[in-house]
Amino acid sequence: MSDAKARIPSIWTTGWTDQLRTGTWRNAVAVHKKRGAPCHGACPVEGEIPLWVRQMREGDSLGAWQTLVAHNPLPAVVGRTCHHPCETGCNRNDYDGAVSINALEQYLGDLAIQEDWALPAPEAELESRVAVVGAGPAGLSCAYHLRRRGFRVALYDANPELGGVLRYGVPEYRLPRKVLAAEVKRIVALGVEVVAGRALSARDLPELEENFAAVFIAFGAQAPKMLPQFPRDDRRVMGGLAFLRLVAKADPPELGAEVLVIGGGSVAMDVAGCALRLGSRVRVVSLESREALPATAEEVEDALLEGATLIDAAMVKEVEEAQGGRLKLRCLKAELDPAAPAGAIWPLEVAGSDFELLADTVILAVGQDPELADWQESVELQGRLVKVDRRFMTSRPGLFAAGDLASDQRLVSVAIGDGKRAAGCIADYLQGGKRDRPKAETEAKTAAEATEETNAEAEAEAEGPEVAFSDINTFYFPKKEPRQREKVAACERSSDFREIKLGFNPARAALQAERCFSCGACTKCDNCFYFCPDMAIVKDPSLPLQYQVLDQYCKGCGCCLAECPRGAVSAKEESK
Amino acid sequence: MSYQIEEQKVFNSGHSACPGCSEALAIRFILNTLGPDTIAVVPPSCIAIISGPQPLSSMRIPVYQSTLESSAASAAGIKRALTAQGNDHTTVVAIAGDGGTYDIGFQSLSSAAERGEDIIYICLDNEGYMNTGSQKSSATPSLAYTTSTPAGKGTPKKNMAEIMAAHDIPYLATATTGYPEDLARKVAKAQRLTGGLRFIVALVPCLDGWGIPDSAGPKVSRLAVESGVFPLYEVENGVNYTLNFGPKDVPVADYTALQKRYRHLTAKDQEFLQKEVDGNWARLAKKF
Amino acid sequence: MSAQGKRLLLNGNHAVSYAVKLAAPRVIPVYPITPQTPILEKITDFLADGEMDAEVMTMESEHSAMAAAITASLAGVRVFTATASQGLLLMHEMLHYASGARAPIVMANVNRTLGSPWGFWPDQTDSLAQRDVGWIQYYCENGQESHDTTLLAFRVAEQAMLPAMVIHEAFYVSHALEAVELVSPEQAASYLPPFAPLHRLDPLIGESWGNTVSQQMFQDHRRDLGEAMEGVAALAKAADRELEALVGRGYGIVEQYRCDGAELVIATMGSMTGTARDAVDELRSEGVAVGLLKVKLFRPFPATDVRELLAGVPKVMVLDRNFAPGTGGFLFQELKSALYGMRGAPPIHGYLAGVGGTSISPAAIKELARGALAEEPSANSVWKG
Repeated sequence: MSDAKARIPSIWTTGWTDQLRTGTWRNAVAVHKKRGAPCHGACPVEGEIPLWVRQMREGDSLGAWQTLVAHNPLPAVVGRTCHHPCETGCNRNDYDGAVSINALEQYLGDLAIQEDWALPAPEAELESRVAVVGAGPAGLSCAYHLRRRGFRVALYDANPELGGVLRYGVPEYRLPRKVLAAEVKRIVALGVEVVAGRALSARDLPELEENFAAVFIAFGAQAPKMLPQFPRDDRRVMGGLAFLRLVAKADPPELGAEVLVIGGGSVAMDVAGCALRLGSRVRVVSLESREALPATAEEVEDALLEGATLIDAAMVKEVEEAQGGRLKLRCLKAELDPAAPAGAIWPLEVAGSDFELLADTVILAVGQDPELADWQESVELQGRLVKVDRRFMTSRPGLFAAGDLASDQRLVSVAIGDGKRAAGCIADYLQGGKRDRPKAETEAKTAAEATEETNAEAEAEAEGPEVAFSDINTFYFPKKEPRQREKVAACERSSDFREIKLGFNPARAALQAERCFSCGACTKCDNCFYFCPDMAIVKDPSLPLQYQVLDQYCKGCGCCLAECPRGAVSAKEESK
Repeated sequence: MSYQIEEQKVFNSGHSACPGCSEALAIRFILNTLGPDTIAVVPPSCIAIISGPQPLSSMRIPVYQSTLESSAASAAGIKRALTAQGNDHTTVVAIAGDGGTYDIGFQSLSSAAERGEDIIYICLDNEGYMNTGSQKSSATPSLAYTTSTPAGKGTPKKNMAEIMAAHDIPYLATATTGYPEDLARKVAKAQRLTGGLRFIVALVPCLDGWGIPDSAGPKVSRLAVESGVFPLYEVENGVNYTLNFGPKDVPVADYTALQKRYRHLTAKDQEFLQKEVDGNWARLAKKF
Repeated sequence: MSAQGKRLLLNGNHAVSYAVKLAAPRVIPVYPITPQTPILEKITDFLADGEMDAEVMTMESEHSAMAAAITASLAGVRVFTATASQGLLLMHEMLHYASGARAPIVMANVNRTLGSPWGFWPDQTDSLAQRDVGWIQYYCENGQESHDTTLLAFRVAEQAMLPAMVIHEAFYVSHALEAVELVSPEQAASYLPPFAPLHRLDPLIGESWGNTVSQQMFQDHRRDLGEAMEGVAALAKAADRELEALVGRGYGIVEQYRCDGAELVIATMGSMTGTARDAVDELRSEGVAVGLLKVKLFRPFPATDVRELLAGVPKVMVLDRNFAPGTGGFLFQELKSALYGMRGAPPIHGYLAGVGGTSISPAAIKELARGALAEEPSANSVWKG
């Protein structure tokens, strides 16, 4: 008998199963893929909200702010003025209430001002010069983004101070001037050439075009819409923006005791707030019912708390002279015709609902239009706006436009987002033939730079459908109460223009940042790693997303998808 | 929150568990916690299949595949042989299914516990003979469908944890795969508390036998805990009870709704199950 | 030859216990059953007195005892256990498992009737019913042989990597006192090298045992097991010769007694051999040419040896103290099978004698022999008890 054979029974193992390719069983493979978050999707500046909130949560306030300003140079301003569709879209609404993103943005913006953080220096220095006409939100944003890329930018504005509607429209109690000034100053400090107090018109175009490789116009919508019932050139009837502008210049007009504000939008509410603070009794007359007002619910509520009276679903039929130099407004209740096409408002009078209102001053806040009278020769218009293509270019090559001039959205953050996107288009336009590509970029990258770039790409590119609440594994998120900013008591507001909304303190900011699901953005929590029954996910800190799915072992079960708290792992189908 | 689990690489990829198998997940945290100085005993069960087709093993430790009813005795035999050789460091663990524990293996388990054998015994409880195609075991809960209880099981699940607690063993714990850190911690504790038999019963959803999607094992496991069906707790020396994760006001119906083995339940059945779970919890809660 | 061991008055069970002490197994899983219990009691006495050092496992069943014996053996230590009757049958599954695992466990089995109904009597059916489980089986005639055979069994089992049973009958051997000359510790130490298997359950080696195998692997494994078993006869003979050289006692795997010119050879196993020896002596003195064939090693069955020894013998008479309904006596069946096809194979009488422990005297055997010489054999076992 062979001893060896008797002593080596066939029942002992001789190796390990990791030589088997059990991954061949699958029909889908797990991939770590950044997916869009609804907040980001709703954000007019596409501001990578999940990323900066996460940086904040991880205690990296500077990094968070740097992410913010990579998209929006005015976080302290936007943290106060944005209509925050991000919060409306927040998946946490379906759970325990949206994350207070807007308050967090203000917190970071204010912190940066307090700490005197500087914007990152331009990536390069390019030869091309771009003129930006109008230093409102769109213009400031475009100038900033062009300057970041290294273009030489001249920023023109008709007013002595920069900011446009932010400086001369939004009231101090909503946006303190020093906040705006600090953020504007930071942009200018990047090396933007400022030409303030000089109003440019279409006649200046040829000269601009000669001196600049591209021109961007964003001088906003200054001309108030008037209503035919009201007398023109009457000091008792004024436009909302004009009124706010006087208030902003600390030169408020005499209003008298009774002020009527006509309109239901944000400007109307700002006007009401200012008039109240100037000591008048304020009534707001809106065509829409309260629920349908274009102003945000918060704006309306503030105005009412501060003492304004809302007369909603009403229209002014006629205006007459009344005793004591007052105006008498004959009004009617109105219903909106449901047959009106989207966006249009067709009021229907309610018979027998007549009533009268007396006013010392009437302020019309029913919208503004761009003043384009002298531009129609130079560029093609579309209705009351300048016509631009998808790349923000007007009919005139090299002339770009954005903001209220080219859009009727009339929202600060939309203007900032358009300014950012327009800057990208202008850069593409100017660098189409790589004419201005800086030298450094054409040189071979070091390995470190290449890795960094891959990382950045992996971080930046979001693919696939936006993360929905059903993609969130709520087990990993204990319920936590949302918190909004506290406000100065209404009774203390009407005496002055001090800011009414109080920013978060660090503890509260941290608590809210903690609540973010980080939808679709891997936070390296390791759940995918731990919950893989096949150990088909390995951790490798040198990889952009830290994790590697091992092709030979992933059976496609989807546990990593299900256990990812935030929808940052997807399944990629594979055909056999 | 995120998990922090220290793992030693004992359990290998390339094993033959079904995609998404919670049992494989449990084995991962058990073996990777116990480490390489371990010998495992595995009776017939899915665990035996997972450990690999001859001549390969998915476990980088010696594994002995015992007969179905003799896991505890087999593990004890190894431990005694090690002791006889002067080896006081190697951990011996038996990892068995519920059939091999609650039913046919109970006699040898009870005796090993009584003898104070210095081994760890872990029951991966998927509430039935799932490896043979889902038949009833004494771990199958009330009203659950199996191929041998097609109308739903008419009697409740045997309370293995309490039976083992009555053996006054140094340590016992309940665990489940939806709480991997808790599972790993309990395995490490069991390894530490030598000097007698340590017992862990881990609820391990069976995707096929319970009728749940491949990716839902951990979720179903957590619902079992949050609904009070399977509270996670520890008992030291048969008397010191500690609750780790108890019910969270989740209705039992939320747990059963995800599983096809319960799809025949009527509203009255649901009420019955809820009462049973509430009653069990009330009885257990007094011990903490 | 080393120093001789002591001579003690011992019953057959204690004779085994003394041999176990010499073999020094390190793990001994136990479960009590009459009439085996004295073997384990004596061992636990040795342990209590510090004469032995082993892990005794007081199991809850013979099944678990064998389960633990297998794993302890696979973990690399020498293992001993003992059982009888029902206990052996409860182990049945594990007996296959042990041989499949190539675990060289040595187990003493004390033959006792199987229920139902209950009985406590000598009858070899319990162990013979386990003839196909892959264990080596030694049947012993008396306490001295059981003592010596226990050491022999460890040696052969560990060489062949197969488990072995040392078997003697209830009461006739297990509880009968006789003078037994012990193997001395020095002799035992030189006879039985330390057990050090190449493959074992050891984290430093990392090999696993018992994975699911393919059909081909299973067949290969069974063939290996068969080859190992086939090799046992030669190993057993060598081990026996060496023991004889060492202590002066040898048994062979089969024993021929006064067979020269025999007209009839009586074939039997166990305690019946002693009675038959007396019967043969008396018959020879009465001029009847009768011999004796003692089968000591029953598994593997020493077919070659048996054929050689019975070649030219005119007639064989088998005495079976065991019974399988439907096939009769086990040794009768095995002998017929072994001699089948041999030129001039002797006709065989199969007598069931002593089943259930009934007493068979030398006189009774003499009478059976005379009858066998006169009669033509039946194809089946015949009740003569």
